[in-house]
Amino acid sequence: MIVRSKRTETRGALRAVAALAAPVLVLAGCGAGGGQADPGDGDGTITIWAHQGQDREVAALQDAVDAFGDANPDIAVELTLIPEADYTTTVTTASPDELPDVLEFDGPTMASLVYNGKLSPIDDFVSEQTRSNATDSILAQGTLDGSLYGLGMFDSGLGVYGNAALLDEAGISFPEGMEDAWTAQEFTDALADLAAKDDDGRVLDVKQNYGFGSGSEWTTYAFSPVVWSAGGALIDGDSADGALNTPGTVEALSLVQEWAGYTDANTDDSAFVSGDVALSLVGHWEYPNYSEALGEDLVVLPLPDFGHGVKTGQGSWAWGVAGTSDNGSAAGAFIDFLMADDQVAAMTAANGAPPGTKSAIETSDLYGPGGDLSLFADQLAATCGAGPVTADCVAVPRPVTAGYPVITRQFADAFAAIWEGGDVAEALDGAVTAIDTDFADNDSFTIS
Amino acid sequence: MTAPAPPGAARTRPKARRQGWAGPLMALPAVAGLALFVALPFAMAIGLSLFNVRLDSFRPPDFFALEQYRRILVSPDFSGDFYRALGNNVLFAAVIVPVQTAAALALALLLNRPLRGMPVFRTFFFMPVVFPMALIATVWRLILDPGPDGMLNSVLGLATFGLFSPQDWLGDAATAMPSIMLLSLWQGVGFQMVILLAGLQGIPRQLYEAAEVDGAGRWQRFRAVTLPGLRNTLVFVALVTMILSFRLFDQVYILTRGGPDGATSTVMYLAVTTAFAESNVSRAAAMTVVLFVVVLGLTLLQRRLVTQEREIS
Amino acid sequence: MTALADRPAAPTRARTPRRAPVRRLHPRVRRGLDYLLMGTVTLLFASPILYMFIGSLKPDDQVLDGLAGFVPRHLSLDNYADVFARFDDPSTGYFLDFLGTSVIVTGVVVLGGLVVNSLAAYSLARLRWRGRDAVLVLVLALAVLPFEAIAVPLFYLLNDFRNTLAVQSVPLVANAFSVFLFYSFFLKLPKEIEEAGRMDGAGPLRIFVQIIVPMSKPVFATVAILSFLTQWGMFLWPVLMVNDPAVRPLPLAISVYQGQPPFAWGDIMAFGVMMVLPMLVVFLVFQRWFVRSVATTGLKG
Repeated sequence: MIVRSKRTETRGALRAVAALAAPVLVLAGCGAGGGQADPGDGDGTITIWAHQGQDREVAALQDAVDAFGDANPDIAVELTLIPEADYTTTVTTASPDELPDVLEFDGPTMASLVYNGKLSPIDDFVSEQTRSNATDSILAQGTLDGSLYGLGMFDSGLGVYGNAALLDEAGISFPEGMEDAWTAQEFTDALADLAAKDDDGRVLDVKQNYGFGSGSEWTTYAFSPVVWSAGGALIDGDSADGALNTPGTVEALSLVQEWAGYTDANTDDSAFVSGDVALSLVGHWEYPNYSEALGEDLVVLPLPDFGHGVKTGQGSWAWGVAGTSDNGSAAGAFIDFLMADDQVAAMTAANGAPPGTKSAIETSDLYGPGGDLSLFADQLAATCGAGPVTADCVAVPRPVTAGYPVITRQFADAFAAIWEGGDVAEALDGAVTAIDTDFADNDSFTIS
Repeated sequence: MTAPAPPGAARTRPKARRQGWAGPLMALPAVAGLALFVALPFAMAIGLSLFNVRLDSFRPPDFFALEQYRRILVSPDFSGDFYRALGNNVLFAAVIVPVQTAAALALALLLNRPLRGMPVFRTFFFMPVVFPMALIATVWRLILDPGPDGMLNSVLGLATFGLFSPQDWLGDAATAMPSIMLLSLWQGVGFQMVILLAGLQGIPRQLYEAAEVDGAGRWQRFRAVTLPGLRNTLVFVALVTMILSFRLFDQVYILTRGGPDGATSTVMYLAVTTAFAESNVSRAAAMTVVLFVVVLGLTLLQRRLVTQEREIS
Repeated sequence: MTALADRPAAPTRARTPRRAPVRRLHPRVRRGLDYLLMGTVTLLFASPILYMFIGSLKPDDQVLDGLAGFVPRHLSLDNYADVFARFDDPSTGYFLDFLGTSVIVTGVVVLGGLVVNSLAAYSLARLRWRGRDAVLVLVLALAVLPFEAIAVPLFYLLNDFRNTLAVQSVPLVANAFSVFLFYSFFLKLPKEIEEAGRMDGAGPLRIFVQIIVPMSKPVFATVAILSFLTQWGMFLWPVLMVNDPAVRPLPLAISVYQGQPPFAWGDIMAFGVMMVLPMLVVFLVFQRWFVRSVATTGLKG
């Protein structure tokens, strides 16, 4: 027996810990880019993860699941709802063997899921009919490197709602459609004119109550169109330098900074419906409330043009098949079922979103020709898709790259700082450095 | 750390040998648990912070040496968020420690009087301590609601005959952190109060009687007898509160998610969101290591203060 | 303040000429003022709790209603039924599952913790074995490590065991601070206690179970209560490790519930009442132990 000193004992313990920790660090590099689901035999049990949205959406989804179960007696469906606020982190942290067969995801997170092998291409699992009926913007948002990974039942539309009564009262002329959209300067002048006649000088609502900054996808969704419209981009290839911080974007965001002084904080979320403000920059989802409150006085306008054409956002929740699923065919059958007219109509009736299929748009009262929200359908029809952002295309998909989480976080933080009155160029440069660092750390997220 | 281990008692009785086995065996379950779930993760935190490990990435991590630390502590692009979060922790501690300790002392003094029904009052003062923070934050969301119907706005409106206009307590950068402080104080003060009350009851009566004979007034008795008698307990309470301040997470996660614009972000909140939202496990690990160094520094400070006190008294 | 009729000031003692004469109040008035003060402070502490209880019995749209939130009108138990109606599907989870998760996880951590931590502490305090001092130093060093400092790597380490009851409980059973509390208690026990047992030829385990444990009730109560308090409210760990509604503990469940529109505040308050009621009952029954166990933590300083 050797009586060992404490020192050797401690060192031995440290060695043991190091030996235990080492494999963990190595294990971090498991899996591979790009998952591929196994088709399976088309029956059995499929598990589904979906986000828990508004109650009506949840009800529509649960109805769809039940209807699918009735129509396909040999497929059992298990649905799990996950709170919207935690959904993305849930999917990110899930270990591969924990993933369900069918996975809902928020459009812009798709690329990082593909990158990490959590999504499978679905070209082979969904029918040709489903793919050809999906709108161009839905296909653009769901396609990466030529493969289709996701299909959304609905899309999203973004614009400026106006209170015609208040605008007329202040003698402000507003556009008829996309052709005569406001220039950014005209819009800013209109704000000043409105403010001159307003009690508190707060005449615009940009849903500040959703929160600006980190973790607020709303910030990126609502204000990245400013960057595109100014001829910039959130990212170009694998670098944000020279895309996000161009003189044009600095100038455009400096103008937007002026809007802050005319903006109602909208804490109780009723600035527009109560008539406190004449203009509200928000998505399609507010239409039901707004039209109920304003009736005939509600007008739906495009976002202002910062010099390179009107640009707007697109993309919403979509369905995909997990890269680890061994039930691809059954999962694809479920997505086919969701993308059929009945289900798309039921879901878009529940949440008021632009339908994700051509046939559903044509028959939609709201989004069809002459409908109140046909502007949003037109914007989406003019999607820039995966191609270059030209002056003529309107709806721009958020960058389809696995680095998107850091892009959106940094852009939102920079925008929050700008909105608070910070130096525009400095805020954008900070975001650019952070984004580029993250891309450099990760080999530009290329899937080798 | 170099002192030789105590020689195992070389007993000859067979029972002694059995006891030699019994000792390690009885300690084993807890020690194994601590090694696996506390020591190993801590070693991993240090290990992870030297790499570039991402959650959910197929890429083998690169060795980063101290780059993560350089970023969160020095680099102009990343350190801003971290220092803002750490600054919020420090601010929280700087306000909560003196205010909560003083409030706990005041409550303890109130309870330490010969009045009937004291146990009932003590029950109420202590009750929030048994409430889970997640529930308290939920109830306080209603109290702090920005509209005129929010409880706090409504009470202040009534008290000022309607002069007070409703405040967006959690949505305004100036009031968000104070609001979090207020509900944390409400929840935690009873805990400190009970500790101080025990301390008060441990002060010998004769000291008070002697002071009274010397003609000391109430305030003088408080200064000459109560405070010195409570000194160690007060130091302990203040430091425990300070350490808790650096662990602030639940209220922030539930009520403000670090907002508005980072005004209520804390180191723990930032670390969790960095690991979660940015998948950046290594940077998050570096943050928790820095947090630990800060907490350890405070703990050592406490021990030094207390031992000094002991030497003085 | 009303003017108070008070007696003429008592003559001050000659020995303390520095003191201003104190105006003595009538004892009864003084006691009245005392109770007024205590009542006010009590109200400050009790009102949020009261608000929650009353709100849980009111229609949803009358909870967030300024001071009227305290007015008990239109009371009913509907909200409690609503909670069960809201969580009635595997996709959303069931209230009783949340409660069950919390009870099981807390139970395992508290009871398991009492067993393993006390055993280790006894071994470290009273038995002599090679390497004991090194282990002791290590355990005491770990006691200063806050859980938060290891949460991120622990989550990374155990990520493959997400959404299980085990991952929520097992890593928290062994607790250095509990070992420390037991250790300091056992250290103070007189040496003679074990001697009698040794004479009878009992091994250390039997001595511990039959002699030491029965006389150490206070420290067991302290550790049980402190770990119960910590565990029942544990939030950070479930946030990191749980997203499956089937194994969601109550604190995480209410955080999800109150962050998800529509905000049926009456229902949310009812959820809160059901979540805290077991706690409150335990607290009121064992109140003396609660207070004592908290107080003893301070005497360790």
